[in-house]
Amino acid sequence: MAREKFQTLTEPMFYILLCLREECCGADIMARVAALTQGRVSIGPGTLYNLLDSFQSSEMIRETSVSGRKRSYLITDKGRAALEAEYRRLQVLTEDYRTYLGERRLLP
Amino acid sequence: MRDTRYRWNTFLLYDYRGVEDHLSAMAAKGWRLEKAGNTFWKYRRAEPAQVRYAVTYSDSASQFNPEPTEDQLSLAELCAAAGWEKVCGWFQMQIFSTEDPAAVPLETDEALRLEGIHRSMKKNFLPANVVLLLLLLFVGRDFLPALVTWDLYGMLGSNASLFSGAILLPTLLVELYIFSGYFLWLRRSRRSVEDGGACLPAGRGYRRANLALWVCVSVIVAVYLLLELSQGGRGPALYFVLYMAFYFLLVSLLRLTTALLRKWKVSKTANMAGTLIVDFVLAFALIGGLTSMALNHDWFSPASGSGETYEYRGQHWDVSPRRDFPLTMADVTGEEYGHVSREIYDRGSLFVSNRGYREYALLGDGPKTCSLSYSIYETKFPRLQESMLEDLLEVDEIKFHGMTVVTRRYVPEDPAPWGAEAAYRLYYEEDPTDSWFLVWPGRAVGISFGFVYTEEQLPRVAARLKPEA
Repeated sequence: MAREKFQTLTEPMFYILLCLREECCGADIMARVAALTQGRVSIGPGTLYNLLDSFQSSEMIRETSVSGRKRSYLITDKGRAALEAEYRRLQVLTEDYRTYLGERRLLP
Repeated sequence: MRDTRYRWNTFLLYDYRGVEDHLSAMAAKGWRLEKAGNTFWKYRRAEPAQVRYAVTYSDSASQFNPEPTEDQLSLAELCAAAGWEKVCGWFQMQIFSTEDPAAVPLETDEALRLEGIHRSMKKNFLPANVVLLLLLLFVGRDFLPALVTWDLYGMLGSNASLFSGAILLPTLLVELYIFSGYFLWLRRSRRSVEDGGACLPAGRGYRRANLALWVCVSVIVAVYLLLELSQGGRGPALYFVLYMAFYFLLVSLLRLTTALLRKWKVSKTANMAGTLIVDFVLAFALIGGLTSMALNHDWFSPASGSGETYEYRGQHWDVSPRRDFPLTMADVTGEEYGHVSREIYDRGSLFVSNRGYREYALLGDGPKTCSLSYSIYETKFPRLQESMLEDLLEVDEIKFHGMTVVTRRYVPEDPAPWGAEAAYRLYYEEDPTDSWFLVWPGRAVGISFGFVYTEEQLPRVAARLKPEA
């Protein structure tokens, strides 16, 4: 079920995994995603809580430390592979876009 | 001026928008939610303000937990980082508020929100409602088959079936409406989310239906009690009132038990087990005790005798036998009886009057006895009378350990001696008895003779029992 769920990543999933290439806590993730996307993507705390829980259950991230209520996470190999796969999928999409538009331009 | 206020909560767990809008509206009026109880929500007075409320769902939350779980605390920590302050929890629903209009919404992924809501509903609302539905079907095990087969007499023949049906039907309909309403909302919301939209509003229909149900049930209960009291049924009325009072007391005590165990930091499993044990003990003590008292003191007996009695030959006889009998043994035989006991039973309903009369007497100074009993059924509705006759004249198999011992059936006989429209005699297998069923328009009488009667006496019986012209 979880594998099927993460076959393609939504924008929030993609950015959370991207941020977790470095160890960080939930509040850091929200701030980093907002900064990285210049506010285009914002992740609500409820959504983030659910996604972190799902990623952890699917072993795509792991908890690295707990300090008080603050929990920090880091991406796992499995999560990295999913992020990589998503990146390649997006690249393919971009390539297809370019190819299609390039062919159109070459047409008489 | 009061600083706190309680409101009856009619929201369902999945109606997050309803809750959010309601709480924001209350805050604008100067009332902030302080505690969300099972039935009542508590608000505290505050300066009217534009407050944003948002809810999210935590699977691990439970009213049996001694303290918020680690998951709940982590969620609250994340929300606090985003500017949202935890207000309180209500089952799995976690309620947050903020006065910052720019704070990121709690949920930014509608598909995840929908999943979370459905997970919480599966844990809480759905099992509780399935149990309630099964309970309603159990309570309606007599009424519902009568409804399905359109057995009018089965439905309307007695106050008990009439009023249990009158309460059961709207409750069942509202329960089905709420149950199917959720799944309809879930399906539509899934479609909306798949199309890139948001979860749909739950609407106000279920809250209105619930409110209408409470009004309807209250009116039905009031009518039932008034009718029972007007027919002299003080026992059943008292039983019903005490039963309802004990039920609400039981629910309150159970909630108190859960709260106390939570306060004593008892684990979730131990709290659930403790509450369940207290539930069994209290239900047995309160409801069982009440039922036992009612049975011991004959609260359900529909009979009303003559009052003062005396004892003779080991039996009780009326000092002044009641005189409001349409027919007595003396009327039939012309003899006088020295020791008589008379009782009247009222078992009818709003639509069918069913009055039973029983007379019991010593023959001379005894020890032989004789008796006469009859029930008069009256209804103004011809279709109800048809249904009543079908029910009362039905072949009845008397069984013992699943084996038919004897078949009881009514056989049509000549109604002329009775001056009736139809007359039936009761047979046990092929043996005729001294029990008859007589039918006139709007009235039917079942009569059993406990003494030897003659053909010549029958017109006298009929003259007394037939409806007045």
